[in-house]
Amino acid sequence: MARTLSPAALWALALGASVLAVLVALAAGSAGLDRELILSLRAPRVLAAAGVGALLALAGLSLQVLLRNPLADPYVLGTSGGASVGALLALLAGASLWAGAGIGALAAGALLLLLARSALASGDDASPRLILVGAMLAALFGAWATLLLMLTPDERLRGAIFWLVGDLSAAQDNGACAAGAVLLFAALALRGRSIDRMMLGAEVAGVLGEPVKRLRLELLVGASLAVGLAVSTAGAVGFVGLVVPQAWRLAGVQQTRQLAGLSALGGATLLVVADLVSRLVAAPMELPVGAVMALLGAPCFIVLLVRGMR
Amino acid sequence: MSTMPLIETHGLALWAGDRRLVEHLDWQVRAGERWCLIGRNAVGKSSLLRALAGLPVPGRAGELHWRGIPQAEWPAAEAATLRAWMPQQPADRFALSVRRLLELSVVRAGAAPLDLASLDIADLAPRAVTQLSGGERQRVAIAQCAVQGAPLMLLDEPISFQDPAHQGLVARWCAAWVAAEPSRALVMSSHDMHWVARAATHALALLGDGRWRAGTVTEVLQADSLREIFGCDWLPAGSSWLPV
Repeated sequence: MARTLSPAALWALALGASVLAVLVALAAGSAGLDRELILSLRAPRVLAAAGVGALLALAGLSLQVLLRNPLADPYVLGTSGGASVGALLALLAGASLWAGAGIGALAAGALLLLLARSALASGDDASPRLILVGAMLAALFGAWATLLLMLTPDERLRGAIFWLVGDLSAAQDNGACAAGAVLLFAALALRGRSIDRMMLGAEVAGVLGEPVKRLRLELLVGASLAVGLAVSTAGAVGFVGLVVPQAWRLAGVQQTRQLAGLSALGGATLLVVADLVSRLVAAPMELPVGAVMALLGAPCFIVLLVRGMR
Repeated sequence: MSTMPLIETHGLALWAGDRRLVEHLDWQVRAGERWCLIGRNAVGKSSLLRALAGLPVPGRAGELHWRGIPQAEWPAAEAATLRAWMPQQPADRFALSVRRLLELSVVRAGAAPLDLASLDIADLAPRAVTQLSGGERQRVAIAQCAVQGAPLMLLDEPISFQDPAHQGLVARWCAAWVAAEPSRALVMSSHDMHWVARAATHALALLGDGRWRAGTVTEVLQADSLREIFGCDWLPAGSSWLPV
């Protein structure tokens, strides 16, 4: 089976796909629009989609290593729940929904850090305790979000629901997400070998001389910042953080350096394409990008999984 | 330097809850020696191996020195060049290939490469660790420790999943590994006294109430001391003993 492409071929593929996606997204449906409009209106949105996709994929990769679970996603530790509560509170208070989301995500990350610090500091496998604490936080935030949603006035309810599924239509990006993604990629690539060794188990990595506690802390802080930045730009976009790193793993990529780069490219491409589809498929109406992405991505991923299981 | 014992304990005590695993352990592991920890289930063999590797254990007191220096004073990176540790069960969650796993386990680059055929795992290099059989994974784990390049290897039950032919292979491999360099020593654990007699030069028996017996394999593996260690009778079987 020709499933083992060389890393160079994978890189070329991912890079080519993302460049193509960005070009198509910039140009699509632009008949009659001049260059000025494309650059001032469409380019920031495409940049935001690419940045958010890359951030979420890298956050997913970080948490999969931290929790030693290939099925972890950026929201498993309650960060998106915190973002939702923050966003809805801001909406009710008449403040910026996006700022509220960012603050909520970071607050949830800080709360997790506080509650799970003993688990993070221990030498052994901390993932069960971390996941339980995170799951409880997610449940708590989910309940609060539901209560807040019931209090949200009707005229704002639609916007709130769009945000909860993930929405790029109001994204105002100044390049922060893309810059954040580049930084997180660089941090992961710099620690590539150490993170690879974390996959052997926390104690084995420690015996090999890795500073396991510090690495865990860095992964958690990096992932929380990334999620905070992403949700404050595009809402709680799901799916991409779980699926993109996992898809590369299924394709045979094993090194963290390669995984981080390919996941960033893959996440960016996936979200740009999904945003393009969400803009065009029911134009002039826009669909929430999070729902579109799962609709497109889930069947592809299932095919990949079933092929991998054979 | 090399005359210093690799491991030296003074009054080492381990406990788990209110159970005493070992007390007043004054013991040394010198280069060239192959030690096997023996004793009943839950007697503390794995905990002792963890403590010797510098890993956390529920309760611990007393002194542990590596090469004459207190274990706690070894920086993590230095310690990685001194001792390797194999857990009883590998915790594989990611489908890394055997080749990649072994690459990641190298600490001292430039050490002589391991001949994978010596552990009968040469064919496994491209396979994912999650797809190996228990015995194959266990031999890969031994290789993982060997490629680390540390002179002291701590193996928790290295043959619990091995078939008879591979039990013999691992026993011969252990002896050859220690003999290959004058600075090397091995501490492992096993329940198979016949295998211990072949694979080890010395045995440390934990009796379950904090007491312990240490000596050469021929000293410790005797009918009366085996009865005291395991609480059952033993029959002589050639150069070894079988439980009744």
